[in-house]
Amino acid sequence: MKKIKVSLESVRDEIKSFYDYKQWHLLTLNGLALAENKMEVQWIFSKYEAMDEIVVYYTEIENTETIPSIVDMIPSAIISQREIVDMFGVKVDGSEKGLYLDEDSMQRPLSGCSI
Amino acid sequence: MFTSFAKAFTNLFKKPQTIDYPLTPIVKDRDYRGLIGYGEEACIYCLKCEKACPPGAILFVPVENPPENKQNKKGLKYHYNPYLCIYCSECVRACPKPDEALWQSNKKPEVAVMDDRVNEGWFELEKLKKQND
Amino acid sequence: MKKTINIPLGSQHISLLEPVRFKFECENEKIISVDSDVGFVHRGIERACTTKFKFDAIGYVVARVCGLCAITHSLSYTAAIEKLLGGEITKKAKYLRILLLELDRVHSHMLCLSHTCENAGFEAMFMRIMGDRELVMEIQELLTGNRVQFDYINIGGVNRDISSEVAQKIVNNLYEVKQRVLGYMDEFTNNWSLSLKFKTIGALSLDDAYRLNAIGPLARASGLNIDVRNEIGYLPFSEVGFVMQTHSEGDINARNIVRLNEILNSILMCENILSGLPEGEIFTKLKGKPNGEAVVRFEAPRGELMYYVKGNGSAMLDRVRIKTPTFASIPAFSHIFVGENYADAPAILASFDPCLSCTAK
Repeated sequence: MKKIKVSLESVRDEIKSFYDYKQWHLLTLNGLALAENKMEVQWIFSKYEAMDEIVVYYTEIENTETIPSIVDMIPSAIISQREIVDMFGVKVDGSEKGLYLDEDSMQRPLSGCSI
Repeated sequence: MFTSFAKAFTNLFKKPQTIDYPLTPIVKDRDYRGLIGYGEEACIYCLKCEKACPPGAILFVPVENPPENKQNKKGLKYHYNPYLCIYCSECVRACPKPDEALWQSNKKPEVAVMDDRVNEGWFELEKLKKQND
Repeated sequence: MKKTINIPLGSQHISLLEPVRFKFECENEKIISVDSDVGFVHRGIERACTTKFKFDAIGYVVARVCGLCAITHSLSYTAAIEKLLGGEITKKAKYLRILLLELDRVHSHMLCLSHTCENAGFEAMFMRIMGDRELVMEIQELLTGNRVQFDYINIGGVNRDISSEVAQKIVNNLYEVKQRVLGYMDEFTNNWSLSLKFKTIGALSLDDAYRLNAIGPLARASGLNIDVRNEIGYLPFSEVGFVMQTHSEGDINARNIVRLNEILNSILMCENILSGLPEGEIFTKLKGKPNGEAVVRFEAPRGELMYYVKGNGSAMLDRVRIKTPTFASIPAFSHIFVGENYADAPAILASFDPCLSCTAK
């Protein structure tokens, strides 16, 4: 597993220059609560027909920041982005809330400050 | 296509694949994972099974008249909730005296009725356990 | 006047096993856009894993994510923990893990095939396949002690050894299943309601499969070589005779054929394992607490399953991320529906073999 740290502003450019749709596929977006209002966002990729080649792009953000969307490059990211919005209560461009959670359920259950 | 027709036709005269359930009992294999059995005399009260149980279906709770056993220094009694148990047999693997103190049978639990107070009774035990910790 | 009509499919529908809702926007018979809602059975398992349970119990918790691929879930989680603890398990335990993994794949694919038949209106075939599936369920029960929740894998190995009678019974039953599956091959290629009707329906092109990151039998039916069993060195799949099964058409029929071929390949793998099962212990005790992060992938019956586990050196984990196969395929599903007839939607949906309790976890 190779981890590459990127900044929130450059993540789209980094993924754009790296992602070749015939070689890599997006496994998922992953979030990780670091502190009460800090989290790590990971974009996990894996290579077709290669032995355990996994590349993780990650960045650390405040919960109030907005994560840029990569759906225009990788259409299948939409579902993971919607999950992150639900689970961590952050904003992702163009992804609305409500994939899993309802109005009356626990909000942002996986972030450091769930309610 | 004709073979499938022929098969469907012969199936009309075959015995059904299912068994006549309430009249014919289900035969369980000898190694089927079922209820956990407990032998009070052999238990050494090490509480390893309690720690190993993933859903917390085994509780040792202090009571007024504990079972007579030399090893039982804290006056504990074994409680087991068959409706919480997932029959994974982690407890039996953790037990230092398996087969004597703790073993797995191939029986299923009885259907519980409201009078058994399956939930409420167990919540009381859990509360008691928390108070004593 | 509005030219399109909206037709919902689900959340309760006669062709669905589990709750999912699709909203189809149709122009006459053609579907022109799809909106899906998959979160009806969300149970918060990821949160439970980090707040309620210690790391050694989570293998049993994640097995409850899904009944059909329970073994892949607990195997992936266990493999991640073993990676973090840094231990090596015995060869026999590895072989037994593959054995159950492949038996699970056989019965899961048989369920999907029978369901496809049911949605084609072929009830008799549905009954036949479900009846034959009992042969596999029976040997799974003998091997693990339960039909659905196997609880067979724990950190460091497997829970039960295999006796020679059980091994013999598995060989006998698998031989029987193999004969039946060869029979289905004939039905699925020659029977009018199962083959011609399904050809060119719900097709996914190879380029779209790449673009939408399709996985599992869905991608392999389009000719995309993605099978995690080919891409991990953790379990010795190539040693026991794994061969990737692909097809080029990408339609419903191709998916059925890929699944049938995979069943045959899985049976072959099981037979190879039982004929060359190594001697040795089935369990190695691994000490310590997980620290660090690990990504583990396995091939579940529906495609690639990924676990991300992060530990901090204590008994409670920081994060358990479960990426299930159906979850990742939802964008591809929605894409396939566009341009098809509404009347074909249940058949297309059944051919995806969706698992919603996995998706919503």
